[in-house]
Amino acid sequence: MAKGKKVTVIGTGNFGSTVAFILAMNGTCHNVVLRGRNYDVTKGKALDMSQAANAARQHTIVKAAKGPEDMAESDVVVITAGAPRTPGMSRDDLLVMNADIVKMYAKEIKEYAPDAVVVVVSNPLDVMTYVALKYTGFPRERVLGMAGILDAARMAHFIYEKLEYGAGQIRATVMGGHGDTMVPLPKFTTVAGVPIDDLLDSEEIGEIVKKTRNGGAQIVNLLGDGSAYYAPAKSTTVMVDAILKDTNQIHSCAIMLKNDYGYSDIVSGVPVMIGAGGAEQVIEMTLKNLQVRKFKASVESVQEMVDTLHELKFFDDLK
Amino acid sequence: MTGRKVGIIGAGAVGATAAYSLSMMGTCKEIILFDIAEGVAQGKAIDIGQSTHYAAQPTVITAAQTPADVKDCDIVVITAGVPRKGDMTRADLLLINAKIIKSVITDVMKYSPNAIIICVSNPLDVMTYVIGRITGWERRRIIGMAGALDGSRMAYQIYKKLGYGSGQTGALVIGDHGQNMIPLPQKVKVGLIPTTDVLTDEDFEDIIERTKNGGAEIVKHLGTSGYYGPGRAIAFMVEAILDDTQSVVSSSVLLEGEYGYSDVTVGVPIVLGANGIEEIIEMTLNTKTREKFKVSVESIREGIEILEENGFFDS
Repeated sequence: MAKGKKVTVIGTGNFGSTVAFILAMNGTCHNVVLRGRNYDVTKGKALDMSQAANAARQHTIVKAAKGPEDMAESDVVVITAGAPRTPGMSRDDLLVMNADIVKMYAKEIKEYAPDAVVVVVSNPLDVMTYVALKYTGFPRERVLGMAGILDAARMAHFIYEKLEYGAGQIRATVMGGHGDTMVPLPKFTTVAGVPIDDLLDSEEIGEIVKKTRNGGAQIVNLLGDGSAYYAPAKSTTVMVDAILKDTNQIHSCAIMLKNDYGYSDIVSGVPVMIGAGGAEQVIEMTLKNLQVRKFKASVESVQEMVDTLHELKFFDDLK
Repeated sequence: MTGRKVGIIGAGAVGATAAYSLSMMGTCKEIILFDIAEGVAQGKAIDIGQSTHYAAQPTVITAAQTPADVKDCDIVVITAGVPRKGDMTRADLLLINAKIIKSVITDVMKYSPNAIIICVSNPLDVMTYVIGRITGWERRRIIGMAGALDGSRMAYQIYKKLGYGSGQTGALVIGDHGQNMIPLPQKVKVGLIPTTDVLTDEDFEDIIERTKNGGAEIVKHLGTSGYYGPGRAIAFMVEAILDDTQSVVSSSVLLEGEYGYSDVTVGVPIVLGANGIEEIIEMTLNTKTREKFKVSVESIREGIEILEENGFFDS
């Protein structure tokens, strides 16, 4: 039999801690390694979670990493590290600060966990996924960004608020970048197979799209100090589960495009089939003209940020 | 609904598998099994009861000695009835099962007067209608299990074509629970993608055909009807009611003007919750689907007509 699964979570803020906690509660893997900047705090959280796993009658052991070598033999490494977005701060403001952090961890993963699938959740998401791909040097199927699952979950919630039924059965579709230019696709949305058009009028659907786009910012403003982490963490573990259990399920994830949807050498959110090897297949949906235009705008906004990093000679050490 | 007590009448393979599925999920506080065959309910109740040691939540499983023991249930699942045998006509089967249902329902009305009834007996739509007529209860409390199963069979066929997306496929089958059922694979999604982007018209035809024959295909291999799919589908509906999930699932329900029909039970998407049927969803059907739906309704009405002609509802 294969060995028990191992997941390393980099970053022990609310996001990373909640990811590790969900994994421990569900018994998705046998080992979770938490990698944080402060070893004592990280160890405290790891102990607390290991004890919770026992209360939940689960087998998962959570440990704190002393150094990058503790990532060895991870099946999945989740990068949550990075400065959070504070009120008034755009995703772009975070760009350079977080690119440096992701670069550092990507190099460590390359050295210590060269067979892992990397799940990036640091913002701005699409660019950070791009940075992680470049600095791990992994094939694109093993470096994925978590965005579409969260955005679709938010959209599904706003649809539920209108309908007041079907919670958990609403299949929403969101493509493109995880930012102000995300592309929600309400026409593709169903509730247990029933098309959304049969349940809501176009004005209501328009309102839902608007709320979805603003979903992250709404929570940032309400919390006052920090951003959302319950839905983001759960969405991340959906990806981790799909990889560890080799589910071959379809999820919207950020991935490097290679002649997909007409683009190459840029990361954006598209439907992929996730299995043990990461994104084993990119699936091309038929988009209408308006959707094609919105997707283009989304890709371009990510490209601009990548260009900014190039101008700052961020990638020069790759050569 | 504090007791979370579910009665299952008919402890054959379908009834017992529903009980087992519910026990493993820990959905109910108590499940009571009844069967006319002596010992069957008792033996299965003990076996399932012992398996709950490894379940996430505790469930008490008991066997009823008499119909009177199936009392004060929140939900009663009715799987009673005989299968169609070689020399039986459709009318024969209808009359035999309608009589069984009548006797079962008389007891349910007496001993679990506030229950929501999930009908699983065949022919499904007509038996659901029979229960509605005999009880005279509000339609929200009488639900036929059909679309939950047929939909899962359709989802399975879609997965077989694609080789991915298991468990992520929408399930949508309307119409009767028989040869005129209307699977709608073109309307659903696999994860976030519309099936129309990954399947051809030929695929859809094949999926529809295989979904319709989903039950028969299992009989061909097994020599008897399937019960894992039906058992789990029943459990899903019980969970929706007990947990008040407000889930959308196709079910056979009495129409009162919806889709242009009245006084007939047929499969349509409903919202299922603590009150039973919380809402009936009226989808926009294209002309072709409307015609198929009409054929479906007529085939159910023919069954009801046979019972009327034989004076079944007279007493």
